[in-house]
Amino acid sequence: MLNKISGHEVDRRLLLKGAAAGGLGIAGATMLAGCASDSGPVTFGVRTVDESPMAQAQAIVDAYTAKTGIEVTPNFTESNAFQNNLSQYLQGTPDDAFQWMAGYRMQFFADQGLLVDISDVWDEIGDQFSDSYKIASTGSDGNQYFLPQSWYPWGLHFRKSMMAEIGLNPEDIYNWDDMMAALEELKGQGLIGLASADKGGWEAMGTFDILNARINGYQFHVDLLAGREKWTDDKVKEVFRHWEMLLPYMNTNVLDLEWDGAMQLLLQRQAGLFMNGSWFGANFLEQSQEDYDDLWIVPFPEINPDHGRDTIDAPLDGIAVAANGSNDAGAKEFVKFAASIEGVEAQLSTGIPLTSANNLQDTSAYDPFQKQQLAVMGEAKYITQFLDRDTRPDFAGPVVGPAFQDWFRDPSNVDSILESMQSQWDALPPL
Amino acid sequence: MSVETAAPSGKQVARRRRFFSRQDKITLGFFIGIPTFLHVALVWFPAIATIGLSFTYWTGIRLEDITWAGLANYENIFFNTPIFWDALRNNTIWILWFFFIATPLGVLLAYQIDREIRGHKLYQSAYFLPVVLSLAVTGIIWNFLLRPDGFVNGLLGLPISEAISFFGDERYNIWVIMIMASWRHIGYIMLLYLAGLKAVDGALREAATIDGATEWQTFRKVVFPAMKPVNIIVIVITIIESLRAFDMVYIIYGSSGGMPILGVLVFNNIAGEGASMKGAAYAVILFLLSIVPIITYLQQQFKDDVR
Repeated sequence: MLNKISGHEVDRRLLLKGAAAGGLGIAGATMLAGCASDSGPVTFGVRTVDESPMAQAQAIVDAYTAKTGIEVTPNFTESNAFQNNLSQYLQGTPDDAFQWMAGYRMQFFADQGLLVDISDVWDEIGDQFSDSYKIASTGSDGNQYFLPQSWYPWGLHFRKSMMAEIGLNPEDIYNWDDMMAALEELKGQGLIGLASADKGGWEAMGTFDILNARINGYQFHVDLLAGREKWTDDKVKEVFRHWEMLLPYMNTNVLDLEWDGAMQLLLQRQAGLFMNGSWFGANFLEQSQEDYDDLWIVPFPEINPDHGRDTIDAPLDGIAVAANGSNDAGAKEFVKFAASIEGVEAQLSTGIPLTSANNLQDTSAYDPFQKQQLAVMGEAKYITQFLDRDTRPDFAGPVVGPAFQDWFRDPSNVDSILESMQSQWDALPPL
Repeated sequence: MSVETAAPSGKQVARRRRFFSRQDKITLGFFIGIPTFLHVALVWFPAIATIGLSFTYWTGIRLEDITWAGLANYENIFFNTPIFWDALRNNTIWILWFFFIATPLGVLLAYQIDREIRGHKLYQSAYFLPVVLSLAVTGIIWNFLLRPDGFVNGLLGLPISEAISFFGDERYNIWVIMIMASWRHIGYIMLLYLAGLKAVDGALREAATIDGATEWQTFRKVVFPAMKPVNIIVIVITIIESLRAFDMVYIIYGSSGGMPILGVLVFNNIAGEGASMKGAAYAVILFLLSIVPIITYLQQQFKDDVR
């Protein structure tokens, strides 16, 4: 029976590969031209079509070509589409090097043999990164499959000018009571306290992560996402009880907004606080320097004094080499350049703020907002990636996303939602 | 057909076949063989493989990782996955809405246009226009209109924070989607039906009028039965369109659970990193839901014809 299925499956896989190739618009001609030599041209899959990160990727490519004379072709794909197609893309004819995320999401593909072991690159430039980044770049077999390029913290963002007008000092929001008082004050001013979004199904995961880490601590959070703790635990219900207290201060159309919609609420001064990753600073800068200079971040407040503010979601983005690419050697050289200080400098030459993962980046040249990001990061003892990077992909996307959306529809259903999440976890196939 | 008449005709075919030259046979072989091969390779292999895979655990990457799961994927869907029932409910609403509202409206429009009411050319073009657009494009257009920072909320002067949550509020988002889908479906049905109505012999209607039948009686007793082939097509299309719904919802909600429907669940569980053969099981369920009513209906129709 299995033989039969796999026999058919070959055809199906070929089809999927064809679909992936077509769908991603891979530059076929360049692929054909690429031969397996060090100096051959390299293709580079970039998972963004946003203005600033595209400019940064292009800067790396240009600098590399200028230095080595090797032609690198970047292929830009919208981030969601890139993620949805990634497994087909990597099985087909992927770009030689591509942008991806650290942690579980990288390990998953490394385990499937779709990424190239780049431990040798780590041997050469590994001293430019901290040990925790090396761990986040390591596959389950102990080899490195990923090079970190940049990071951003998740925290409470606000506009300094707005808070000054209202007379609030968000730096003073230290614990939950401070937070509730601040939200009440913002509501009294006719503002949305906490801009929120969850149309994409992942935005609210950041709020869950931080509430869980604040209330139950880092270890419980990690254990829960790894399946060693139960979603039906009263500790998890406590998280949702706190989350529910925030609901009256949120915009009512959470399920109608994606992250950029919630960001607009902050940009347009309709909301006081915005819990999100700091990457959207680039969007503020695209608006104007003034908007960017007005932006600030503080850590999410303490809830349980036992854990203080010791944990933060700070996802690492970076670059990997695809096993099915046509120029492994060339791609390794390219990713080494891209993640090294030379690549960082190339990106900085665009004038777009970058909090790189590279230790050699001169943080004293950071702008004030970046320095504050660093400070927020520095306060934390434990770093988590993000819910959908810290747990099984077949759980995060198809189960957690819709479950949180369901909760927003009717928060009183929390018990049955958590029960169903747990039973869906239990029904997952063994890895 | 009786056996006696069938046998000679079979012989005739056999005799006729001898007149095919070698070249004819090669040509025929190509013309039949290639499409058959493509059909089997592109339709039947993937379909049967999907059915087989729905009984396995697999991430869709390495063939050696496939493990037998028995009915586990189905059990998981039926007993552990509340979103499946939400999706089923939404697809049911979709099918009922199309059946009792959108399709009859299309038929009504076709009938009125066929009667050449004043301005029928304009109506015909106006209602037909959306059919030219794919459902994905329909989704993009309506998304521009209805999203929080879209045209309608802008016209009402509502900032994003107070915008009407057309797609986010579960009290009415399904109806918003229904209206969007109908916008196109009505025109499609109208066109099909209009083509059928044009083919109905005018003498039938004239005779009915002479016999003193009212307009409604004429339609119900004379025109409608005469339109039987078209009616079958319209019903089958209505069922298929409601169950295969995917693109419009995907454009608006992405692969998240914003408005669960079966098509999106299939995609969500079979594509991307979250891929598992639960998606294949969803596909099989969707396939059975589509094929069973259609086969039953068609069988019924053909039985009537034989009689």
